[in-house]
Amino acid sequence: MNRKVAVIGVGNSKFGKRDDVTIKELAWESVKEALEDAGLTQKDIDITVIGSTAYRGTEIYPAPPVSEYCGLVGKSPIRVEAACATGSSAAFTAINLIASGLADIVLAIGVDKMTEVDTSTSLAIGGRGGNYYWEFHMYGTTFPTYYALYATRHMALFGTTEEDMALASVKAHKYATLNEKAHFRNKITVEDVLKSRVISWPIKLLDSSPISDGSATVIFASEEKVRELKIDTPIWVKGIGYSSDTSYIAARGEWVGLEAARDAAAKAYKMAKISPLDIEYATVHDCFTIAEIMAYEDLGFVEKGKGAELLREGQTEKDGKVAVNLFGGLKAKGHPLGATGLSMIYEVTKQLREEAGPVQHSFKRYLALTHNVGGTGHYAYVMIFNR
Amino acid sequence: MDGIPLLFKYTVPDKLYEKFWEGLKRGEIYTTKCKKCGTLYYPPRKDCEKCMSSDMEWVKLSNEGILMTYSVVKQKPQGFENYSDYTVGIARNSDGANLMCWVKGEAKVGKKVRLTTDGQRVICEVIE
Ligand SMILES: [Zn+2]
Repeated sequence: MNRKVAVIGVGNSKFGKRDDVTIKELAWESVKEALEDAGLTQKDIDITVIGSTAYRGTEIYPAPPVSEYCGLVGKSPIRVEAACATGSSAAFTAINLIASGLADIVLAIGVDKMTEVDTSTSLAIGGRGGNYYWEFHMYGTTFPTYYALYATRHMALFGTTEEDMALASVKAHKYATLNEKAHFRNKITVEDVLKSRVISWPIKLLDSSPISDGSATVIFASEEKVRELKIDTPIWVKGIGYSSDTSYIAARGEWVGLEAARDAAAKAYKMAKISPLDIEYATVHDCFTIAEIMAYEDLGFVEKGKGAELLREGQTEKDGKVAVNLFGGLKAKGHPLGATGLSMIYEVTKQLREEAGPVQHSFKRYLALTHNVGGTGHYAYVMIFNR
Repeated sequence: MDGIPLLFKYTVPDKLYEKFWEGLKRGEIYTTKCKKCGTLYYPPRKDCEKCMSSDMEWVKLSNEGILMTYSVVKQKPQGFENYSDYTVGIARNSDGANLMCWVKGEAKVGKKVRLTTDGQRVICEVIE
């Protein structure tokens, strides 16, 4: 990058079924918090980036109403979309605007109102998260089906079990009880997961992240601005990696990990000049429990096939070898697509600033990572941050 | 309160891959192969992204394959509510093409399958 970029303000709305607000008020909750966190007002913002998938809400062009409501008219909202990695694509765009020298302070909002349509419509929209003709049209695939195809093969090749996958969900719910912004705040057991309704075998209801509403906002600034504003604890962007894969999932040739995530991780580690084992805290894209297991492997925390072992040994708990998703994950905090990637940066920032309260991890080198996947590895963003 | 519903009505091209849809009606699976560089594509394509040629020929795929993975769809999306549970799979056929399909019979990763159709989609039958 030509110029260093830091996170200087973060905000996060309460995630959940938010039928008390429209997308505008929902966005404002995190925008207000981020502006206050950075000690800025809207006047200080050069450009706004809005990440929203929008198809499940009434506002299918959400950028203008959101920017108007948040007092950001004239800040040219750039709307971006990368399915479930939309939030990271907003961060990616914001970081690039600063790194290139085009802007000094950029506000990235991620917001989605997903519960405005019924579940069957939502599944039909998610089923198009691949390739309409060759998947959804003929085979009635749903979004869980795509991840289930990976889960079945991972089980067959490496002996990963449904119980192993359930552990990821149990861990997510345990930490979400401590997160007041989480969609679900109840503890669950392995048995609860195994007994829950089958959605697309082997994926069950409690293997799945919920359909959530929510927003997250991150304010990025250049090094000059960080100095000028005398920011106490800037969180620096150390590395960014991005990649993509085929829309038609069958074309990939193997279904035990996400090639896009592996490629994005390699690029991010290279830019940050660190190795996977240097990461102390990671937020990973656990849209389904198998996705968390594959993420451990794709990020290089363990070799391919050994993800479940890391989970079984408790190495990804707070103060474990590499702590993962101490905020409750997408599984329990919720997964409002546009917000998720920025919500991960919110959580990583809180951890690196040591403002994470009961879930504060103990750092030595203050190195953390976000892993945000769009579609079933159709997009992947890996970002590395440090204090 | 209720919002105003938005109903999308789509018209999709049916001539572009007519040979594929026609084949499905006869239990056959057709795809395209680039005449210039020989790349076999599945699903079929109008254009070759490898050598930039658009001179493609239709070829019939072999019906022998192996089941690579599968999932049983219990909660169905809009448009499929009236189907009973179906098993979506990925089969690799002996030409090296990877095909999404519906699986009939007892699904298991690595099993040999016979590729056919039900008139509307590719079906892979598990060979016992
Ligand atoms: Zn060619």
